[in-house]
Amino acid sequence: MTDQLTYPDVVQWAVPFFIAAILAELCWILIKQRGGRYETRDAVTSLVMGAGNVASGILLGFIAYGFFMALWRITPLDLGTSVWVVLLCFVLDDLRYYWVHRMGHRVRWVWASHVNHHSSQHYNLTTALRQTWTGTFTFMMVVRAPLILLGFHPAMVLFVGGLNLIYQFWIHTEAIGRMPRWFEAVMNTPSHHRAHHGRNARYLDCNYAGVLIVWDKLFGTFVPEQDHDRVDYGLVHNIGTFNPIRVAFHEWIGVFRDVTRPGLSLRQRLAYAFAPPGYSHDGSRDTSETIKAKHLARHPEDRDTPGFAGLPEGQTGDIRVKSGL
Amino acid sequence: MPLELLLGLVVGGIAAIAALLHWTGNSQRRVMMPEDARAEWHRHFPDDIIRAVTVSRDGHAALIETETGPGLLWAMGADTVGRHLLDYDLIEHPRGLHVVFHDYTAPRATLHLTEDERRGWRILTERP
Repeated sequence: MTDQLTYPDVVQWAVPFFIAAILAELCWILIKQRGGRYETRDAVTSLVMGAGNVASGILLGFIAYGFFMALWRITPLDLGTSVWVVLLCFVLDDLRYYWVHRMGHRVRWVWASHVNHHSSQHYNLTTALRQTWTGTFTFMMVVRAPLILLGFHPAMVLFVGGLNLIYQFWIHTEAIGRMPRWFEAVMNTPSHHRAHHGRNARYLDCNYAGVLIVWDKLFGTFVPEQDHDRVDYGLVHNIGTFNPIRVAFHEWIGVFRDVTRPGLSLRQRLAYAFAPPGYSHDGSRDTSETIKAKHLARHPEDRDTPGFAGLPEGQTGDIRVKSGL
Repeated sequence: MPLELLLGLVVGGIAAIAALLHWTGNSQRRVMMPEDARAEWHRHFPDDIIRAVTVSRDGHAALIETETGPGLLWAMGADTVGRHLLDYDLIEHPRGLHVVFHDYTAPRATLHLTEDERRGWRILTERP
């Protein structure tokens, strides 16, 4: 079994491309006076978050890699390194990304790490680089375990994961409207991912795809961007700081404060850590479901339109009660 | 990629992008009219019923009176952020008022107010 297999660290090698593409998008917006918005401090915060993400990978990457190598030593399977194996690995890792990303929005412990990526009210190529510093602490590396146990080498799994992240860079833009229909049908695109970054009730918890949008269509989380409902970027409760430390850790601090509140049962403490974001033991906060229900109470004409399909009738009267465990 | 080269690229890239953004006028803070402030508050808090809106003379902040109590909306770069005035300290500042929220996600807002505005905003924020 091959222990020594190396692939280039594609994310690091893509850094010059990232910088050039950001400058090109900015010039495009300045010349055309359309296609997006930039703000100095917002962009710098996003870039510092990106740099911190690379630094945390250098400092903490050994934890995930050590775990993967331990799995590699115990698995009897080795699929080799052919192009077809790399392609299969890429597709399966994209499926892995879909579920990790979905958990990143539906499990507060994982959201605490991922929230910073959604914390900008802007949507441009710098937003793509607003990445987590604390991904290691979510332990989502375990979701990659099946790939390695199936015989994909850890270096290959990390390589295709890097390619996946690089693909997602270019879709963080308003400069591109829609791609050709066949491309929009299969691939994640700027339009699909704009919807994912929306804080509008319609767009909450949709379009988790990395590269292939087919996963969202398969698992029922696809919501197409609506021309009549312009995407409002950011968080349901937008943060009021550009400080990267606060951006990186604010939800972790929120989790800690909630879990250690006096007078809660063990079940309630666990729910504050692992239930969907917006959970509260007394129903005083809103989850995605209650936000959508409240929106439908104000705008019943949106019922059964994309993003609101399948929500039960007459939910608004007791939505706060339903959100409490 | 050698670490020194990566570090140079990252630092140089961030500095170049920040300088270009600043020189092309992208560091301006949001200026609001009363109708903007009302729309922005509803964007942040769609369930609130607004009773009155008071925008600061410089247009960078607004005091929002809602049915459930006062709230503060202020410019955050080109955008806005809002918080209900529930758990906070109001501190005198040479150029107006300094609002310290007991909220890790929005620690403080400095409001540039005239002397008249400062007195008026204090009364409005202290109203039950």
